[in-house]
Amino acid sequence: MESVYAQYVWAVPIAPLLAFLVLTLMRCVVKGSAAFIGVGSSLIACVLSILILLERLSASTNVYTVNVEWLSFGAVHFELGYELTNLNALMLVIVTVVSTLVNLYAKGYMADDERQTVFFAYIGLFTFSMLGLVISPNLLQLYIFWELVGVCSFLLIGFWYERPAARAAAKKAFIMTRIGDVGLLIAILILFWHMPNHALDFQSIGQVFASVDTMSQYGISAGLATWIASLIFLGAIGKSGQFPLHTWLPDAMEGPTPISALIHAATMVAAGVYLVARTFDIFQLSQTAMLIVASVGGFTAIFAATIAIAQRDMKRILAYSTVSQLGYMMLALGLGAVTAGIFHLFTHAFFKALLFLGAGSVIHAVHTQNIFQINGRGRSMKITAWTFAIGALALSGVPPLSGFWSKDAILSAAWESNKLLFAIGVVAAFLTAFYMSRLFFIVFTRAKRVHTEGTDSPIHESPAVMTIPLVVLAVLAVVAGFVYTPFYSGFETWITGVAASDHTNVIVIIVSTIVALSGIGLGYFIYGPNGVREDRWSNVIKPLYHLVERKYYVDELYKLFAVYPLKVLGKVLDVFDRYIIDGIVRYTASCTVQFGKLFTRIQNGQLQSYGLLSLYGFSALLLLLLLLGKGLW
Amino acid sequence: MSSMLASYLTLAAILFCIGLYGVLTKRSAVIVLLSIELMLNAVNLNLIAFSKYGVVPSLKGQVFSLFNIAIAAAEVAVGIAILIALYRNRATTNVDEFNELRN
Amino acid sequence: MIPWLTLLAFSPLVGVLLLSLVPSDRVKLLRCIGIAASLLPLLLAFFIYAYVNVEGQGSSLTERYNWIAIPLNIEAIQPYVQSWAFEIDYHLSIGGLSLPLVVMTAIVTAMAAWASLTIKQRVKSYYIWFLLLEVGMLGVFMARDLFLFFLFFEWTLVPMFFLIGIWGFAKREKAANRFLVYNGLGSALLLVAFLILTVTAGLAVHGDAGASSHLVYSGDLEQMIRQLGDAQSFVNTLPGPASSFNPFYLSEAWRATAFILLLIAFGIKLPIFPFHTWMLRVHVEAPTPVVMLHSGVLLKMGAYGLIQFGLAILPQSFASWSTVLAIIGLVNIVYGALLAYVQKELRLLLAYSSISHMGFVLLGIAAMNDIGLQGAVLQMVSHGFISALFFLLVGCLLERTGTSRIDELGGLANRLPFLSALLLLAGLASLGLPGLSGFMAELLSLLGLYGQLPWAAIAGGLGIILSAVYVLRGVLAITYGPLDMRFAQLKGTQAVEALPAVVLTFAIILIGVLPAVVTIPIEQGIERMIHIIQAGR
Repeated sequence: MESVYAQYVWAVPIAPLLAFLVLTLMRCVVKGSAAFIGVGSSLIACVLSILILLERLSASTNVYTVNVEWLSFGAVHFELGYELTNLNALMLVIVTVVSTLVNLYAKGYMADDERQTVFFAYIGLFTFSMLGLVISPNLLQLYIFWELVGVCSFLLIGFWYERPAARAAAKKAFIMTRIGDVGLLIAILILFWHMPNHALDFQSIGQVFASVDTMSQYGISAGLATWIASLIFLGAIGKSGQFPLHTWLPDAMEGPTPISALIHAATMVAAGVYLVARTFDIFQLSQTAMLIVASVGGFTAIFAATIAIAQRDMKRILAYSTVSQLGYMMLALGLGAVTAGIFHLFTHAFFKALLFLGAGSVIHAVHTQNIFQINGRGRSMKITAWTFAIGALALSGVPPLSGFWSKDAILSAAWESNKLLFAIGVVAAFLTAFYMSRLFFIVFTRAKRVHTEGTDSPIHESPAVMTIPLVVLAVLAVVAGFVYTPFYSGFETWITGVAASDHTNVIVIIVSTIVALSGIGLGYFIYGPNGVREDRWSNVIKPLYHLVERKYYVDELYKLFAVYPLKVLGKVLDVFDRYIIDGIVRYTASCTVQFGKLFTRIQNGQLQSYGLLSLYGFSALLLLLLLLGKGLW
Repeated sequence: MSSMLASYLTLAAILFCIGLYGVLTKRSAVIVLLSIELMLNAVNLNLIAFSKYGVVPSLKGQVFSLFNIAIAAAEVAVGIAILIALYRNRATTNVDEFNELRN
Repeated sequence: MIPWLTLLAFSPLVGVLLLSLVPSDRVKLLRCIGIAASLLPLLLAFFIYAYVNVEGQGSSLTERYNWIAIPLNIEAIQPYVQSWAFEIDYHLSIGGLSLPLVVMTAIVTAMAAWASLTIKQRVKSYYIWFLLLEVGMLGVFMARDLFLFFLFFEWTLVPMFFLIGIWGFAKREKAANRFLVYNGLGSALLLVAFLILTVTAGLAVHGDAGASSHLVYSGDLEQMIRQLGDAQSFVNTLPGPASSFNPFYLSEAWRATAFILLLIAFGIKLPIFPFHTWMLRVHVEAPTPVVMLHSGVLLKMGAYGLIQFGLAILPQSFASWSTVLAIIGLVNIVYGALLAYVQKELRLLLAYSSISHMGFVLLGIAAMNDIGLQGAVLQMVSHGFISALFFLLVGCLLERTGTSRIDELGGLANRLPFLSALLLLAGLASLGLPGLSGFMAELLSLLGLYGQLPWAAIAGGLGIILSAVYVLRGVLAITYGPLDMRFAQLKGTQAVEALPAVVLTFAIILIGVLPAVVTIPIEQGIERMIHIIQAGR
């Protein structure tokens, strides 16, 4: 069937780009209607990508690629273009839907900010870059947009630039992800030189890395494949906040909350997962790389979940939860369950965006992010509370909400291949349910304390422009899971192109349900309206609690082992440069000067000594003539 | 004949050396100028000696020495003028104190 | 036939002439003439760019006239040849790597002339020196005779010396002296290397072999490349027992000597570690429009010379020393980056970042393939624009705040949003953000290098992380953060200042989005060089 909408894929990223250009270049003209332009452009992109998705769902599953030459000389042929597969059609929808809702939400959230235009311009640029990343047909273009989303994330984290914390967080985010990016860059270098015809497009990669045989046919050893996969994964680690490069993501919460929802929860951070899924052919050929992916993912999932338990900042808790859930996705990919990983990405995007926007709604009303200062004040915001509850339940994995199905898909994959990782997944799921119920109960249900300092003005529900996205996302968080249940595997067939069997695993379903409910139960027991006070139990395991609260001192370790040595080395080299290198130069110069001064002694300005000197010179010449110049006489 | 030339030349050499000694050692600029005159006259003596007893005797040497005397007179006039100007500025004619060349 | 290249190179002299006719107190008129005169070569450069690209790459413009011929004493070899002479040709060409660099020079100079509106004293002589400098720079990038190149190379020193020494900041004279002495030293070495090459590879035999032939020494680049590329030529045939003495043979030892001399001579200009200290002073002490030229264009003369007058002439030596070049490049990158990271003065930070960025040029050269060389040239052009933009902005900053110390500034995004945005953009370009010019340059350098020395390319990736560290540290400390009360009254950017910044930004984005504007004109020149390199293996 002839594709109708697929040929207009290019228009999807162009719409937000135009919004960005208009908002940047004609800032003064469009000042009032910034939000309108932002929402409008992303809505166009959204409608178009939904049409494309529907088209692909109904009929054509062939890959649609268009390339134009970008830079070409000698052996280099870099191309730009777009490619449409089922996977990125799905990603397009995720990105544009969340982006549209966030734009809409931001209209209310940022209403009072005088730099609104800049904000919406940045979001436009981000949406463009993210969509460009998704439809990239080759690794180089993906890298370009990969960097661009990174810089947008940087700009938006540092949006409130006056705050030193925002500045530090922006810088940290950029540098930490850059470490990963260089991994990806090196992977590109290796691929460029080892791929036939220096091809970097995903189709060629798919062909070369189709199996061990084809790979060795093109002269790529298994070890090299492991290296390539690991380096690509390093890029994913940076972008998706996996251990040990995760520290930037929680700090990124310094940015405006809509941004946290869009970039640091739903879309950009998932780019790492998308990258691994896109280059999965390479990973598949290396057991080592797969094991690395699975272990890093599993470890991050449980590691971040424990940290989330002890945080006090509402957005930080959600951020660590994001890190943990991304770990989940990586775990799935590492186990070979691409569909499960992508499925979790899909559901997670909706409920995590929902949670962040809900948190933003609360923060907007109470002007604090500390959950103990909010302390139940969120209860008067009915819509926010209910939608937040749905999001929290979905994240905790309570059936039949979306999070349950995706988590179940991952856990059953783990159950089949690696029981240890399954156990880790289960514990992480329990912790997730626990910290989410902690968050929910403290913020929304706790009895109001008698002595509350500061303003105690009544809390109002946010305006409709902010609650509508919440409701839409809540609906999506409920229903998104039904596309891929244990009883229906069409989604997997659609994503991977390989017919799949249903993966009903009753044990896993029961275990994950029990775990989720018990986590929530424990949360209710401690933090519920009649629960015990937190310090009761936190005092019991004080050292451990501190360790978790301080995020395992990872930041401090970075400071100690990376930042300080770099600074010290820089300072030492500075001294070296100033006194040794420049010292040698100065010494040479002064030697020359001194040597010259030696002769200036003679030049004392006394006419008579000049005369005497010339007399000496004359005599010497005469003497020379007498001694040597025999022939001249 | 040649002995006559030798004695003239010797006298001229002695005069020249006395002049040179004066130029190099005397503190007073006036004496220095006088010594320069002495050296010039030594040269004049040579010129005349050669014009009379040289290989090709000719009057040119004597004419040339007359030129020399005239120029020496002019030179002394200029020299003394400079000296006076200097004396007005520095109130001394001590050559040791004239080391402006150095700076 | 219109001598376009000569017109281009000497077109600033029109301005010099006009300026010398205007009384020195008519400052406004002088400024107008100065700027207009710098626009003239810009227009010509654009025209030539368009002309060369439209006409196709084969017809790269060339101009050649006999200039100086010194007959040599032929008594010693009378029976064998008719005449023996030393000749210098006036030979300009826009082929090879020249075109993008010439256009870059013209743009940066015009923008710097515009930015020189901040110069308040002795405007007349300032613009005269400024335009004379431009003649030298344009000449360097077009000369195809070793001695003509050397002449232009030296030419730039004199105006630069006065521009630093008269219009600079507090320690300007010291900086000017150091600049002159250091570069003079480099030039001396360069001259020695050129002489070594001229008396061997520069030899040409005209006419029939035998008694009627004419022996000519010349500094002609094409001639040298041809001689050294020809396995049968004098310069390449070892004097065996059968043949008699061959004074024109260039032995391995002499080749290595010439290579090292060239490396140091151009390395001082580039600069490579440890010959970089002179340029730190210049960056801090020279007036900012002059630093725009210095950092933007003059440093590139070193890199350009290294490729066009080093690599092209002695490809084998470069190939056998490529590991050393790569290591020097890496040292430059890491050393510059680490030092940039701890500087408290923005101008010093930028100076060290230049050292770091020039490291990528060396990596591109060390790659010894077309990808690496394209990367090196792109890096030259891109860094030219980026550092010009940086120093333009630093100039605006200095004008307002009187300081460019990182620890004294902060929060300027509040009062100077436009300037801060551009500063951030320049920073992002500098750290290699895709879509801006630096990215493709660094990518191609590393990509090319990976084909030759994989480990070095991977180590070079470290530089990409470090550049993010120091750039963000410097730029964010100035623009972000709480606003210092001292700067609460700063005036916003005016349109007059904004124009050159916008032009440079546009150039940076254009090269970032369409790197082909740089790569296409030099493709043929680089192909030829690669051909020579591969033939030599």
